[in-house]
Amino acid sequence: MNGILNWILWLPIIGAVAVVAIPNAKDNVIRWVTLLTTTITLILSVVLYSKFDTSTAAMQFVVKFPWIEQFHINYHIGIDGITMLMTFLNALLFFICTLSSWTVTKNVKAYFALLLMLQSSVFGVFFSLDFFLFYVYWEVMLLPMFFLIGIWGGENREYAAIKFFLYTFFGSIFMLVGIIALYYASGKGVDSFSILAHQGGKYVNETVTIFGHTFSFEHLFFWFMFLGFAIKVPVFPFHTWLPHAHVQAPTAVSVILAGVLLKMGTYGFLRIAFPIFPKAAVDSSTIIAWLGLISVIYGAFCAMAQDDMKKLIAYSSVSHMGFVMLGLSAMTVQGMNGAVLQMFNHGTSTAMMFLLVGILYERSHHRWIVKPDGSKGYGGLSTKLPKYTVVFIIGMFASLGLPGLSGFISEALIFLGIYQKFTTITVIAVVGLLIGAAYLLWMFKRMFFGEVNPSTEKYEDMNAREVFYMIPLCICVVVFGIFPSPLLNVMKASVGQLVDLMAKF
Amino acid sequence: MIQQLFGFLSYYIPEVVCVVLMTTLLVAESAVKEEYASRGKIIGYALAMLSVCLFFLIQNLGEAPLYIFHNAITIDPFSTLIKIIMVLGTMGAIYLSFSSKDIYPNLKSEFAIMAVGVLIGGMLLASANNMLTLYLGLETLSILSYVMSTLKRDESTSTEAGLKYVLYGGLSAGVALYGISHLYGVLGSIQFVEMATKLPALEGTNLLVVLISFMLFFVGIGYKISVFPFHMWTPDVYQGSPIPVTAFFAIVPKMAGMAALLRVSFIFFTSNSALNVSWVGLMLVISAMTMTVGNVTAIGQSSVKRLLAFSSIGHVGLMILGVVTLNGEGVRAILFYGIVYMFMTLIAFYITSHLSDMYGSDSYDVFKGLIYKHPTMAIIMAGVLFSLAGMPPFSGFVAKFNIFSVVIEKKLYGIAIVAAINSVIALYYYMKLAKTMIFGQSDGEVKVLGFTPANQAVIIALFIPVLFLGIFWEKVMIISGNAVLFTK
Repeated sequence: MNGILNWILWLPIIGAVAVVAIPNAKDNVIRWVTLLTTTITLILSVVLYSKFDTSTAAMQFVVKFPWIEQFHINYHIGIDGITMLMTFLNALLFFICTLSSWTVTKNVKAYFALLLMLQSSVFGVFFSLDFFLFYVYWEVMLLPMFFLIGIWGGENREYAAIKFFLYTFFGSIFMLVGIIALYYASGKGVDSFSILAHQGGKYVNETVTIFGHTFSFEHLFFWFMFLGFAIKVPVFPFHTWLPHAHVQAPTAVSVILAGVLLKMGTYGFLRIAFPIFPKAAVDSSTIIAWLGLISVIYGAFCAMAQDDMKKLIAYSSVSHMGFVMLGLSAMTVQGMNGAVLQMFNHGTSTAMMFLLVGILYERSHHRWIVKPDGSKGYGGLSTKLPKYTVVFIIGMFASLGLPGLSGFISEALIFLGIYQKFTTITVIAVVGLLIGAAYLLWMFKRMFFGEVNPSTEKYEDMNAREVFYMIPLCICVVVFGIFPSPLLNVMKASVGQLVDLMAKF
Repeated sequence: MIQQLFGFLSYYIPEVVCVVLMTTLLVAESAVKEEYASRGKIIGYALAMLSVCLFFLIQNLGEAPLYIFHNAITIDPFSTLIKIIMVLGTMGAIYLSFSSKDIYPNLKSEFAIMAVGVLIGGMLLASANNMLTLYLGLETLSILSYVMSTLKRDESTSTEAGLKYVLYGGLSAGVALYGISHLYGVLGSIQFVEMATKLPALEGTNLLVVLISFMLFFVGIGYKISVFPFHMWTPDVYQGSPIPVTAFFAIVPKMAGMAALLRVSFIFFTSNSALNVSWVGLMLVISAMTMTVGNVTAIGQSSVKRLLAFSSIGHVGLMILGVVTLNGEGVRAILFYGIVYMFMTLIAFYITSHLSDMYGSDSYDVFKGLIYKHPTMAIIMAGVLFSLAGMPPFSGFVAKFNIFSVVIEKKLYGIAIVAAINSVIALYYYMKLAKTMIFGQSDGEVKVLGFTPANQAVIIALFIPVLFLGIFWEKVMIISGNAVLFTK
């Protein structure tokens, strides 16, 4: 059973090689091969879920063998409850994205090959238990993203691709310094590159001297790692790359970016920054909470001001990821559970929103709620596109946290978790929810109600393919909104272990 | 006595092969008709002889260190590995010169002659065990380099490059010699080992004189490896010279200079603590400045040759960080970096050369839309650019990782941060070129003539190590780690 992780990790690469080997003209074969690969990956991840032991916080399905023995670098992969959810999310979203990319006609072969490589590298980030392997996947993931945004993106794609790449690279290079520092701090031993071996606050008393100033080892490298992960999340003030990347990226890439790549940032906090530097994390929790709060409020206000649908959803991601940061800063059982649940729920609900934007874009070739000349971009869609409207309502209400849908549970848990520790912040953060409801409903009103815009007359409703790939997301959003325990049970042990660790500092 | 000297020659076969090659090439050049086919034969002969030389060098790799010709020359695994890198670089440049239009058809074998000459100088420099050999190596290397940079005779940029190179080179060699003469004055010997034994006892004025003399001496080496503030000649010479020459300059003299710098640093700056502190401080400042100046200036370039020139300055800045640690790990990191850098540089110059032959320019525009014309070549070039920027899974990342790790092991976090910021800057300008190549629209269906199947095969063969060493780098790390530098 241990080999299953290897299969999930390498199957997309095998698929990508197969795609490259298919002759150029056979676009449909390429699409079907990609779909087959992502389907098998999804099935494997469901099998993984069914075999997953929820009673333990230990790593499961571990595969470990030496890679560079000289440096004690291992090919070491495994999953716990937190990564189990992310694995499923990643497999699901790539399956859906393959279907939603059916309409891509430019360089089909390269597109699907890069998409599969991206999937594999994202799995790699979540599975890696070795720092070196983690870093390699973390960086490799940038390459397919760079090309996907840069080649298949919108008008300003080159700028967006470079900004995304440079920003992330800037953060991760500091992370690399931190990783190497940890390697030497632990004495170059057998476990020096093992992420798990560093956990538990082993570096509380060490110091570091830079240009004659002495710093605490923990605090310095916590902030180095923080930089790497916060840019990825993104936390205010490191969010400026996100709107560009989202607006320019093709639909499927936006979905992946918001759905799983942003989670890599918060996952980094959960797996690396918090457990390895617990004291620094506890000391900095107020700062993290405030940054999370600013992300929530600022992201929501920015979203409200947008006339471009995709930009609006992009800023709403900043706002929703801010809730995850709030949950993390609480360091309580509810807060952490809420944060991890929010990671999953945001993945499904925001993916729905981006897919819906993409579906509409394919019909209208613009994304303006209000066009730059002041006229309405859409109007009265509800009468013309009934199926689309229903799905949109589900996605939107999940996104704004309506009770009964998935977003509500995670946000409620987060508020429960932080209320005692940061009361003021909680009170202000609730306002973020209100603004969230406001901008989403306002967008809905302007697009779906009112007079039917002449330009929207001819639009066709969602076709069978589009309905088919929206169904799993609708199910996730509705079912996990009423019945979240399948998700909570999986992560309970792992989150509990982390909370226990943080409580000691 | 004579017999003993001839006995030493047997350890010196690689160099002897090169000398034989150079002289026979001279004869062949004047004897053979000026036809394409005969040029091909001459180049083929040169490559075959260099392969023989490579074979002997690889044989020597595991041998114990040796001091021959009255301690003038050291043959240790370190110098042998540096020589292997240089021979491979020379072979790459000679192969490129054959297809490049930048080298006039009647000068192709002259290029080979001079390249081998510079290689001999470089080998001497890498093995030098006293100041005289070192200076001889430096000058052999330099004088032929000056000629090489003017190979494109009837272009003013090339002659300008040659003149700049000779003026700069002459001055810095003079300054270096001035420093060496003072070292001889204070220490009373030109043998490295004897000089080093006198160092620990130095104090007062003598110490100061020795320190200043070493700095003067460093001018000579620093100019060869083009570190700040002796880097000014690099962009102009790189741009003016024909591309095969530029590719050659980016590898062979740099590796030779780096070898000399390492050996000198190890012999002289490990014993006396005052000297050690000043030298390490100097190297740190020079490294930080070199990286920053090279990378920041590279951003604004519009010529790919100039871009690669500035990026090579940035890379040398990073490599020097391996010197400051003055330990085996540092040497290992530099050697690994050198091997990887050689492959990356060759590919970058190969592709630039074929494109510039086609379009008669080396601006970014000639790279536009390459992905639509030659997808394989564009992907390889993009891979090399990302490798140069230090992105995994390419070997450039492992090289950078090693340098970072030796620096952080010494707890020099400040310089590690400087290097980290620099690699972000570097990524930006490499990405600009990658962007032009891949996101830009093709201007038509023109096929680049230089990408013949043979040339493409060579480029792909050179790319294999760039990718392979990024993932399975342990073997080469062990080889680099075993190439210990012997200082006694």
